[in-house]
Amino acid sequence: MTDHLSQVTINALADGELSSDQLAIANDHLAVCPACTSTALVQTLLKTNVAKTAQRYAVPPGLEQRLKLLASRDASHMAQTSRPVRRSAVAGWAVAALLLLVFSGTIGLLHRGRQAEVASVAQSAQITEVCDLHIATLAAGQDPQVISSDRHTVKPWFQGKLPFSFNLPENLPSDTKLDGANLTYLHNQPVAQLLYHIGRHGVSVFVTQRRNGEAVGEFQSEHSGFRVVNAGVGDLDLVAVSDVDPARLAELVGIIKGVQNGR
Amino acid sequence: MTLLPWKREAQKTGPQTSTFEDLALPLLPSLYNVAFWLTRNQTDAEDLVQESFLKALRGFASFEPDTNFKAWIFRILRNTYLTSRTGLAARRTVALEEELDEQRESGAGLYPEGAIDRQTPEINLIRLADRAALNDALEKLAPPLLEVILLCDVEEMKYKEIAAVLEIPMGTVMSRIARARTALRGTLEGQNTRSREWGA
Repeated sequence: MTDHLSQVTINALADGELSSDQLAIANDHLAVCPACTSTALVQTLLKTNVAKTAQRYAVPPGLEQRLKLLASRDASHMAQTSRPVRRSAVAGWAVAALLLLVFSGTIGLLHRGRQAEVASVAQSAQITEVCDLHIATLAAGQDPQVISSDRHTVKPWFQGKLPFSFNLPENLPSDTKLDGANLTYLHNQPVAQLLYHIGRHGVSVFVTQRRNGEAVGEFQSEHSGFRVVNAGVGDLDLVAVSDVDPARLAELVGIIKGVQNGR
Repeated sequence: MTLLPWKREAQKTGPQTSTFEDLALPLLPSLYNVAFWLTRNQTDAEDLVQESFLKALRGFASFEPDTNFKAWIFRILRNTYLTSRTGLAARRTVALEEELDEQRESGAGLYPEGAIDRQTPEINLIRLADRAALNDALEKLAPPLLEVILLCDVEEMKYKEIAAVLEIPMGTVMSRIARARTALRGTLEGQNTRSREWGA
């Protein structure tokens, strides 16, 4: 009898990864080797049962609808730019106009509702992403890319790195200290990550340039125990993340926001 | 004797005019299932799927229509997981020694022949069908082994596709699959031994 099949071969056999030649050789061996046949049977049973057992978590209600909403927004945007115009009889236009008048109010309401929901989903994704960045910074335990408590050092460091500029406050609340800053990315856009400490609590303040000129409402949120404070000023958005007392975080954001005029 | 081949559904590739929704939504149950296994938490799994979906939606213009959409979106999910809070925590638990073993095994050869247990009592076969025991064994797998076994056995991806999703060489895929199955069998056999001891 030839040598036993290797574990790699037996796994590849179970996974359907053998070529026809390799499969023929393996089958010839299995026909005369009970030990390998038994092992291959076990691997196949294991694979089958893992497939059944591990397919266990069903999509929760509501998630598919939220995702459909995002996709349909994208699709409707495409349709608006490519939909052909059909010229038909005047009566047809009249009916269409009437229908438009009847339903425009309803459609407007639905559209506004959908926009609000899409904005909510986008906001939720942003909160998750900034929290992940903040946590990743804490977990890395590395020095900031620019280490300084001097705003006149930190601000110029971003020259040529960001397509916008911003101001840093001279006077900070008591027990608050600027540690430095990182250049990082949110939604594939370069942003400034200002690193502060309030007492012993690390704080990240992300300074981003608003996309498409859309105004974003100010909000506070909580995610995985971290407080997120968002504020807009001019064409900038400030998003602060920390586990510090929310009032102190909001105070810091307010001070940074206050020095942006005249930048 | 023909034990196999393992039946595999033909690869379904969408037409070139498919929208993102047409391609992505049918994969939602698979994406969510894998996300839940990785995060072990419904809220985190929902966040992970939603964030991955958004990233894929924004990057869909860069997706080449005739390439493998499933592998593409799973790679986004996996990369999103790796940069998430739970992903970072899981990565820290992977022992350096394990990574070194993996580098050594990523070439040919993999396991010595003697490492294969060819003694398969009937009771072990029965144990393989015990879904509760298998579920426990899956939960004990290290994340790098769990993700490869999910993609291989549950998602029925080819080794080449798994290598693309995980961005690792095919040799590493094969080594991880072998290690995952060895670990699962080891856990199941350990449970079996304990059951017999308690029953004695």
